[in-house]
Formats: sequence, structure tokens, C-alpha cells
Amino acid sequence: MRFAIKRQLIFVLLIFVSLAAAAEPPAGYPFLAFDEAMQQAEQQGKPLFVYFGRYGCGYCDKTNAEAFSDATVKQRFIDHYILAYVDSESGRRLRLPTGERITERELGTRYDAFVTPVFSFINVNGDVLARLVGVQRVVDFLDADKQVQDKLGGKGS
Amino acid sequence: MTAVMAKAMKKSGWLQLMLFCWPLLSIAADWQFSTPAPITKAVGQRIFHHLESAGRRSIAYSGNTVAVTWEDDRDGTPRVYLARKKLSDPGFTAEIKISGNGEAFDPVIVGLGDSRFMLAWEEDGQVLLRMVGQNDSAPTVKLSAAGSQPSISRYGTDIVVVWSERAGRYGQIQLAQIAFADADTLTIKQSCTADIAAAQDEQLYPAVTAIGERLLVSWEDRRLGHTIIMAAQGKPCDLTPPRRISATIEQRSATYGKGHGVSRVALATFGADRVLATWADKRDFREGYDIYAAVFRLGNGFGPNMRVQDDFGGVARQWHPTAAGHPDGSLLVAWTDEREGNSDIMISVFADGEWGEDIPVPGASGAGEQAHPSIIFDDQGQLHIIWIERDERNGPTRLKYMMGTLTTE
Repeated sequence: MRFAIKRQLIFVLLIFVSLAAAAEPPAGYPFLAFDEAMQQAEQQGKPLFVYFGRYGCGYCDKTNAEAFSDATVKQRFIDHYILAYVDSESGRRLRLPTGERITERELGTRYDAFVTPVFSFINVNGDVLARLVGVQRVVDFLDADKQVQDKLGGKGS
Repeated sequence: MTAVMAKAMKKSGWLQLMLFCWPLLSIAADWQFSTPAPITKAVGQRIFHHLESAGRRSIAYSGNTVAVTWEDDRDGTPRVYLARKKLSDPGFTAEIKISGNGEAFDPVIVGLGDSRFMLAWEEDGQVLLRMVGQNDSAPTVKLSAAGSQPSISRYGTDIVVVWSERAGRYGQIQLAQIAFADADTLTIKQSCTADIAAAQDEQLYPAVTAIGERLLVSWEDRRLGHTIIMAAQGKPCDLTPPRRISATIEQRSATYGKGHGVSRVALATFGADRVLATWADKRDFREGYDIYAAVFRLGNGFGPNMRVQDDFGGVARQWHPTAAGHPDGSLLVAWTDEREGNSDIMISVFADGEWGEDIPVPGASGAGEQAHPSIIFDDQGQLHIIWIERDERNGPTRLKYMMGTLTTE
């Protein structure tokens, strides 16, 4: 009986913690600020995967829970891309390769992230290779990854 | 007017009504704008100007002078500058550097009378204050050692500055009332948090305005797990508990998400006892941000949320709302709008409880990108507007100014 109550308490606590962390970048992924990610992408010769989210965004939350939780998605995206997270309401300051200082919010408008979430695959020149808008499933991410990798001449597997 | 027209129609029929209305229909108010003028000669391939301060208070009017403040990084470091122009002069005088040696951002400005101005800005994580006009070399006063996003307003013979103060895990809105005997003697009379309760999440990008002896402070607040606009009013350091002013919208999912997004509230006092709060609002998630507003009236509180832009704004994105009000009751909102396929400055006038049709501002619309407006009315009701202009999306920027006059034909 005591064990059951304790388990319920832990369950409630876990729900609380997961809600408090809602609409942040998914746990377990090495998401960076956009400008740091651009630098790393250039150094490592990898494209960027940019997640434009928003605090409290339901579709971001759903995508985190239902697609980013997949082990294959996680492995491929960490292997193939430098990951960047942009809070499209944030005043956090970034420096673009052109030298321009810009806030995360303005960067969102620059990359047409007028709804959230938007997922953009971007090369080191800042060109958008592919773009996904709204809630994504595991298959959507895996298909997009394959298309981008094919476009880049990679294996995509 | 409606009652008079109805009476005329009933008594004399349509012909008399049309004759009665004819002179009125021919008197149409129209905004006439001056030729856009550059504010600074500091332009170039790697120079980017910014007008993105909290409350969008980047332009002010004092005596016969208009003053503009902004940040750019012409020497590789973000710094705050100020340029001024007499109303009768065609152009701006050479700018002066306001900030010190640190990285400076988000300056705001308010007129003090007699061509004097007060500026606040963020520099190396501090909130600083400085007066110009009588003495352009006046010392800088530190308001906060861990603050950002200041905004500013006159309050009787004093000024009030609000900002987001980093206190522990979250930013919390802080307020200071300051007396200015002269440029060298700024006295902080009192300082406090806008919300006496401890911050439950981030409080960001505040705006402030005065209505007689009262203040209205508004800000972005994340206490509900998504961003909402909240406001408190009263005397400085004696404000009411804040209440939400951006409306609650029914959620599409009970499981995921906390609510829609809003951002960057701006305030303008108009008439004797009213304030407009306007902000960018994502309640229609398919359209990106739209411009929404609510009117506060002393004694009545806030009215319902209103969409400022007209229906032709459709699925286009709007953001960067800025508001200007006048004691005669005039009220105008300007914003960045993409309905024509590029980024334009648009305005809408609030009259008789309704927003008029959206007007693309000549000289601040068309080819290229025009964005980040800031506006103010002078005492005569002339509109002064500044914005950022660039030829292409990632290109260098220019800072522009124009004056608008309401004419009748």
C-alpha cells in the first residue's frame, strides 16, 4: 500500500517535471544557440538542423514527445547535423556570419518561422535545404533526413 | 451624428439626407508625409542599426526638437547613439555617443521639455540613465547592476524607468522613480518591483506610461507556462496586483502546450484618461503574429482585446507594434507588415472606438525592407516616425525619419 502511494507520488512528480520542461528543446539532444551551431557546422562541415520553438508551444511539445523520443531519429540527427534551438519569442542576442547582431525572435522572422514549430535544415551558407512546419512524426523526420542527405550526397541511412 | 442623420432621413427623405451629408463626405482626413530623411551618415557594408527597445520608445519630442536613439556596431561593438533635429531644420545634427566602453543595447528616450531628453539603456548587463540637452556630457547614473530591457516615461515632474531585473532564476520587472533637478543631479526617489509577489517565471520587455498621477506598467510574463501580457496600475511602488490583459484562447490540445504566444507590448496614453496597450499576438496560429490591443480607462480597467490590423492583413505576418497618443484623443498604431510580399510600415488610426483601414506609409513601404517603426506625436499632433530600412533581407541597414501631418481636403 505504502509502495503504491510512493509510486503514485513519483508518477505525479514526473508529470510535473515533464510539464515544467514543456516546449523546451527535447532532452538528450545537444542543441546549441544558433550562432554557436553555425560555427560548429562550419568547423565540422555538417549542415544545421534548426528547431524554431516557442515557450508553451503545444505542437513543439507533441513533436518532442512523439518524434524526438525515437532512438533512430535521435541517432541520425546527432550524427548528421549540428543542432540549434531558437526560441522565437526570445530577446537572446546572436551574431550572424555577416556580422549582424540579431535576436532569436528576429532570426525566426528571417527564416519564416512565423508559426511554431518550424524545423529547417540549413547549410553553412545559411541556405535552407528543407523545411518542416508544424507537428512532425518519426517518419516525417526520417524522410526529411533522407532527402537532405541525398541532396548533400550523403548516405542518409 | 447618427441621430441627426436618422432624423433628417425620416423627415425629408433620402435626397435631403444626401444633400445634408455631401459636405461631410467631401471632408476626408488624409495623412501627408515628408520625404524620408537619413538620421545618421554611419552606413556601410557591415553596419546594422537596431530599434528594438522595450516599449519601442526610440523617438521623443521636447520643445522644438525631435531626438532619436538607437544602437549600431559601426566600430565592431554595439553602442548607443543619439541624433537630434529642430522641427524647422531639414536634417539631423551629427549624432553623439551615449553609451560608454561596454556593449550597449536597447536604448529608450523621453522628452523633458526645453529640448532636454532622458535616455536609459543596457550596457554590460547594467541599466544606465543619462540626461542630454543642457549638458551633453552629463554623468551616467546606474539604475541596476543586473538588468536589461529598460523602458521610460515622464511622470509629472519626474520620470519612471522600468526594466527586467535578473533576480535569482527569473527576470522580474523593476521600477524606479527619478527626479531631475538638472543634468548632473538625478535622484532616485524610490525603486521597487512592479509585482510585489515573487516572480514565478520570466517577466520581460516592460513598457510604462503615465495617466495623470497614475502609472500603467505592462510586460511579458511566462508564469502560466506560455507568454502572456500582464499590467499593473497605480502610483509608483503602490501598484495594483497585475492582471492578464492578453485574452485566454481555448487550447486545441489538453495534453500538449500551455497557450498561444504574445510578445513586445507597447503603451500610449491618449485623451485625458486612456491608455492603449498593443502587442504582437499568435492566437491565430496559422497566420504568425497579428497586432492586437486593449484600451485601459481610469476607473474602468482594460476593455476587450481588439485586432488592430484590418481584414486585408489576412494570413500575412505583422509585428513590431508601436503606439502614439495625444491629449486631444488622437491615437495611432504603426507596425511592420508583410501583406504586400515585402516588409512595409503600416499605420492604423483609432477613432470612435474602431480601427480605421490600414495605410502603408509612403516612403516606408514598397521595394526592399522597412521594419521596426517607432512613433510619437508632438504637441501640435504631428506624427514623427522612424524605422530601419534595408535593400535586401541580410543586407546592411539605414535609419530613416519622416514627419506626418493630418490634412483635410
